[in-house]
Amino acid sequence: MRRVRGPVFPLLRHPLAPLSRTGRVVVCVLFALWAFAMSVAWSPAFADDSQAAPAEGPYFQLAGGDPAIDRLPLKSTQVDARIAGVIADVTITQRYKNEGQRPIEARYVFPGSTRAAVHAMQVRLGGRVLNAKIEEKQRARIQHETAKREGKTSALLEQERPNVFQMNVANILPGDDILVELRYTELVAPTEGRYEFVFPTVVGPRYHKPSTAGGSSSFPATPHLKEGEAPNSSFAMTVRFASPLPVGELRSPSHGIEVAGEGTPQAEVTVNDTVSHNRDFILHYRLAGERTATGLTLFQGDGPDGGGENFFLAVVEPPLAIAPAQINPREYVFVVDISGSMHGYPLNTAKVLLRNLIGHLRPTDTFNVMLFSGSSQMLNPAPVAATRANIDRAIATIDQQRGGGSTEIVPALKRIAALPKASDVSRSVIVVTDGYVTVENEVFQLVRRNLGNSNVFAFGIGTSVNRHLIEGIARAGQGEPFVVTKPEMAAAQAERLRKMIDAPVLTQLKARFDGLEVYDVEPATLDALPDVLGGRPVLLYGKWRGEPRGQLVLEGQAATGTHTEVVPVRAPDADASALRHLWARSRIQQLSDQEALEGGSGQRDAITALGLHYSLLTQYTSFIAIDQIVRTSEAAVPVNRPLPLPQGVSNLAVGEVGAAVPSTPEPAAWLSLLVVLGLVGVALSRRGKW
Amino acid sequence: MQLVTSMWMRPRATFIGTAPVLACRPSYLSPLAWLGLQAAALWPHGAWMARRVQDGSDEPLGLAALALLLMLLVARSHTLRIAPHTGWLAASALLTLAANAALLAAPPLLCALIGALALAAALMAWLPARGPRAPLAGLVVLALPLISSLQYYGGYPLRVLTAQLSAWALQFAGIAAERAGTSMLVRGQLVIVDAPCSGVQMVWMAYFCACAVAALTVLRDGDFLKRLPAIGALVLVGNVLRNSLLVALESRPQGLDADIHQAIGLVVLAMVCAAVAVTMKGARHDDLA
Repeated sequence: MRRVRGPVFPLLRHPLAPLSRTGRVVVCVLFALWAFAMSVAWSPAFADDSQAAPAEGPYFQLAGGDPAIDRLPLKSTQVDARIAGVIADVTITQRYKNEGQRPIEARYVFPGSTRAAVHAMQVRLGGRVLNAKIEEKQRARIQHETAKREGKTSALLEQERPNVFQMNVANILPGDDILVELRYTELVAPTEGRYEFVFPTVVGPRYHKPSTAGGSSSFPATPHLKEGEAPNSSFAMTVRFASPLPVGELRSPSHGIEVAGEGTPQAEVTVNDTVSHNRDFILHYRLAGERTATGLTLFQGDGPDGGGENFFLAVVEPPLAIAPAQINPREYVFVVDISGSMHGYPLNTAKVLLRNLIGHLRPTDTFNVMLFSGSSQMLNPAPVAATRANIDRAIATIDQQRGGGSTEIVPALKRIAALPKASDVSRSVIVVTDGYVTVENEVFQLVRRNLGNSNVFAFGIGTSVNRHLIEGIARAGQGEPFVVTKPEMAAAQAERLRKMIDAPVLTQLKARFDGLEVYDVEPATLDALPDVLGGRPVLLYGKWRGEPRGQLVLEGQAATGTHTEVVPVRAPDADASALRHLWARSRIQQLSDQEALEGGSGQRDAITALGLHYSLLTQYTSFIAIDQIVRTSEAAVPVNRPLPLPQGVSNLAVGEVGAAVPSTPEPAAWLSLLVVLGLVGVALSRRGKW
Repeated sequence: MQLVTSMWMRPRATFIGTAPVLACRPSYLSPLAWLGLQAAALWPHGAWMARRVQDGSDEPLGLAALALLLMLLVARSHTLRIAPHTGWLAASALLTLAANAALLAAPPLLCALIGALALAAALMAWLPARGPRAPLAGLVVLALPLISSLQYYGGYPLRVLTAQLSAWALQFAGIAAERAGTSMLVRGQLVIVDAPCSGVQMVWMAYFCACAVAALTVLRDGDFLKRLPAIGALVLVGNVLRNSLLVALESRPQGLDADIHQAIGLVVLAMVCAAVAVTMKGARHDDLA
């Protein structure tokens, strides 16, 4: 064949000169490198969806986007807490500033205390003060959307869960500096003489199954920063006491603090951590001489704040627990969350806790362990005796867990509910989880309906636990909630549980008011109050009328026989107006529990009426503040504030949130390609030998 | 481009054999350049493929097939025909027109598939008749972003088949296993055989390996086509083996380490590809490969 040479470029020549041996190797190497680079460099998450509002659930925030848009408008959060007696009044001030060139709508999902009664919101914009009003939720949303379309600045505060809120501030114009201030009240009750004030700072990434995937709950989209990334906004917190007694032993197991005036009634605590808003702020303290600010507090609502109603709050401490002479054997079922959000620090903490819990069972006890993430598995087909061999085997299996996958807690609890149970055996179910799910109501319903023959105790593990789930499980299961933020706390909490199970403090508890006419009391069944298992006080909220006189009498069965506590009625406290909100919050919680048990939204009207009457944020009422000045004609760009991952929580909490159950995926594409290329290369190098 | 094609479709018979160089005017356009122009005529499909790769909607494995194809063409350029086969060239031109016209009505993948066939026909026109042409045409098809579509249309049946065969294999090994849809219940533990487990990637790898080995060892087209069904069977066996092993290990209380999971997948893939290579080896090795 005759060679023909092209005029321009070697490739245009025909035929080409054959490659040399070196040339072939070079081509092969270049080809492999190129394929490798292409496979690795192009991540599937390439599309720019920064403008799109994700439907629901957690996701990682992507960097980049239009530089004219300020994507981080929340500049600071300032928290001022004032604690007087057992009531904390907290003011949160969020500062939004638009440093971009386009109007924005800032969305921020943030946590609150599970007992918070959010009762006021105020917006400060350009020297003006807008007082928010409470509205029915859908109506408030319509007003907000209308104001947004009309170019008015509007702030909408909604409750997603009793401890998760969403703030939407629409039409923040370039250069705007807006302060949104919200206030809530909560009860800080002592446990065994020690008070604990908790302020959550971040919402952990909740495993969420959207309705399109068969899920039954809704939850807002929560963008998250990657593990180790700190948010750009600042956080400051101050706690001031106005106590009737000197405040002492001020400690924070979660944050570095500066304390002023310790040992005086006006102590002051300031958080001084540089990175402080990626975990719950926890403050422990005692009042002087082991005394607690308990008793019966009355508020007479004759003034403008009272609305003509009188309220009371009873905080009665139980007697000390005494270990009974004989302890009956029990059956323990440990339900352990090993999902992706538990990977690393939380699961390591849980392992220490379980070593303490399982390792100290009595030989007469029986136990079983369920591990769950996307699916669940029981360690043994039936409960086994707590022998050393069985305990060691259980602990060894738990120690092997690394954490991964989703958090299908409802199927796991259904499996527990279906376990056969002998009628003469007392069973305790101990749930160990971070609570990063959105199916709280389903869980409560399940526990209440199907685990009524057991005591259910819930351990929240981690630095930013979903306390709504943990406390709700315990309430529904007639148990107690525990929170373990670090491994060092595990032994003490395990010991506390043991004491609680072995020796309930008060059972068959009844209360009556002698000489004081009370009504709308929470809990309503005064002649059958829940058992007191630990050192928590008995709490009674209600209304009263007539003369403020008489006494409260509590009677229950303790280890030593019948125990009676008499609490005299004191004169009404004019400063205790917060009792209005605390009573309403307690009633709303009771209605919400009932709604969760019934399913649906059967208590919507009652809760809405309470929220509107007492100006409280609820699942059916929202706060809205609208500036009546039309400020822009340009559509606001929605901006979601990314949340840091809670301290100790890994990227797996978000990254594997969709992984339902173990599966068998093929190996990575680029690795497979390299294997195939290598194999073809080997085959060719053995030419003639195969 | 189409104008040039039409000129090529009417070579003067008097020049063929006697003066093919003059007949085809190849001194101005080598076969590789010609194929390049043919590919350029299909640019809308190329652009779509590039977008698919860039936006992450498909694995960029097609680039590997494309790269191998280019390497083989460059390496064998001296064997390309001086005068292309007119029939194949005509088919190529018609398919090119059809691929571009199909853009008005058909889904992009179907259009790109017609475009790939057009390029394959062009290859047939230029490649020597006795050499391996079908494997190169296979590489053209494998260059398409196929994985996602294969997963979408073929993933479910493959998953059901894999889960069922795995369940039987585990039962045979004395492990309690049953299939429910595309999930398996093994020792009471639910394990799903979802899309990434279907074996579609293994299918692509095996056919890529088959085309590469057949092309490089100069397997005759007839033999290549006859042995192709065996590749499918090998993949199925390999994927069932991989899935069974992983399911058995994943269903243990302690689960399975991710690296071991990956390693098992790679070892089984290597075994399947080794079997494919043995199946597809040709009579001789290409000296230029």
